[in-house]
Amino acid sequence: MLEIKGLSAEIEGVQVLRKVDMSLGEGATVALIGRNGAGKTSLLRAIMGFMKVTGGTIGFDGRPILDVKPHERPRLGIGYAPEDRRLFSSFTIEENIRLPAEVMKVPGPEIARRLADIYQVLPELADLRHRAAAGLSGGQGKMAALARALMVGTRIILLDEPFQGLAPVLANRYAAALRALRDSHPDIALLITESNPSLLRNFAERSYAIERGEVTEISGGLAATSLAAADRH
Amino acid sequence: MILLAALDGLAYGSLIFLVAVGLSLIFGVLGVLNIAHGSFYAIGAYVAASAVLAAAGMGLPTWLAFPLFLISAILVGVVVGGTVEALLLRRVYRKEEVLQLLVTFAVFMILEDAQKVIFGTQPLFANAPMNWLGTIEVFGIFYTNYQLVLIPLVALAVLVGLRTFLRRTSFGRAIVAVTQDREAAMAMGIDATRVYLITFIIGASLAALGGALSSSTTSLTPGIGSGMIVLSFAVAATAGLGRIEGAAVAALMIGLGRSAAVYFAPEFDVLIPYLIMVVVLLIKPEGLFTTLQTRKV
Repeated sequence: MLEIKGLSAEIEGVQVLRKVDMSLGEGATVALIGRNGAGKTSLLRAIMGFMKVTGGTIGFDGRPILDVKPHERPRLGIGYAPEDRRLFSSFTIEENIRLPAEVMKVPGPEIARRLADIYQVLPELADLRHRAAAGLSGGQGKMAALARALMVGTRIILLDEPFQGLAPVLANRYAAALRALRDSHPDIALLITESNPSLLRNFAERSYAIERGEVTEISGGLAATSLAAADRH
Repeated sequence: MILLAALDGLAYGSLIFLVAVGLSLIFGVLGVLNIAHGSFYAIGAYVAASAVLAAAGMGLPTWLAFPLFLISAILVGVVVGGTVEALLLRRVYRKEEVLQLLVTFAVFMILEDAQKVIFGTQPLFANAPMNWLGTIEVFGIFYTNYQLVLIPLVALAVLVGLRTFLRRTSFGRAIVAVTQDREAAMAMGIDATRVYLITFIIGASLAALGGALSSSTTSLTPGIGSGMIVLSFAVAATAGLGRIEGAAVAALMIGLGRSAAVYFAPEFDVLIPYLIMVVVLLIKPEGLFTTLQTRKV
């Protein structure tokens, strides 16, 4: 479904992605593991159209999307939860979650159906729905950002370091929410970046490592990797 | 006497508000301090006055001036504002602020000369709409209904309308989202380029509407735009750039302050708006109504 081939990108003349190859099938869960500054965020931003791509292609359902404008990419069914949440602070939680669907002129009943669906997967958000986004804790904010990505991410959801900065209890809760999502929506693909591979060990079917903008597939899953071993130190 | 000063200040403040709120909106969303905003005010005034005079020449009824004001404001916003945004500003958004200032300043200078070429340098006077609305007597002094009632009502309608538009409509919310985080907004499917264009057109139209309404109260001469840009910048800075309700309060403060000066200390008349701005910014450098950013985590 998502095919990335030979993708290179730069920020102000510095190359941050080097000939990246990656593919995600329908409903796949894929982890992208790398240190801070390795290029995880850059790769997700490139998929969303926010990077200056210098080479390679990104295909979605067999169609090249590099020339699709950034604001039109969510319309393909791509949901994106950026690393630092980036909720709109003057809106309530529910306004934040509804926003992308409203912008895309999704009919009211369909928005209501998707909302009900989202609250099923993330029940704690239902109680917070009228709270201002500015007053959320870190964990609640991550949940809200995931919910907002789910609103339009009917095909694939990109999660940038969702566990970053979460206390262990919240990280477990977040992982449980992801599992619930996995069970209720097996057709949605997930691409999750993380600097700490142990968090995704029992979760991702396929894993890639990224280092200095170069991506390699980790064969045999996360548990078998040296990366995971390094993490235990 | 205080009441009289207050009534004067209300009319004056309302007019500045219309221009300042457009300037503030554009800065809040696009992050560009638009010096050419004064030109939109001036061109709005000239186009409206010309339209009113032309309509009178054709023997059309005077009340037609009011819809003409609105139409000319929107026309100026779309044609002049839209062209400036699409052809020039769009190229400098992520560039240095000095460059943005220079570009809008250059546009301002070009438009100033264009006004002289198109509308001439002779004063233009079209006060029929103001006279048509009649006068009202307050404590033995006659005020025009136009200045005391119409202009403040229009300002109030703009304030309420703009607030409702930004909070209740989906395009309004898209504008707010782009203001807070352009990239996150685009990742939600919002066309930020279109939001910028339409915001700029709305802001420019508001300045032109201020100009159109003022065209009935004074004679139009070259240079009216430069006076207004400085004044509306003072209002927007006092309020905190980007604050809509704040601009209304600051415009009223500066309007009242200035008309109080006219009554009680005329030699400070011109100075007062800037004095208020300096005092406010000394105490609260981010402006009266700017709340510091909330914590990220």
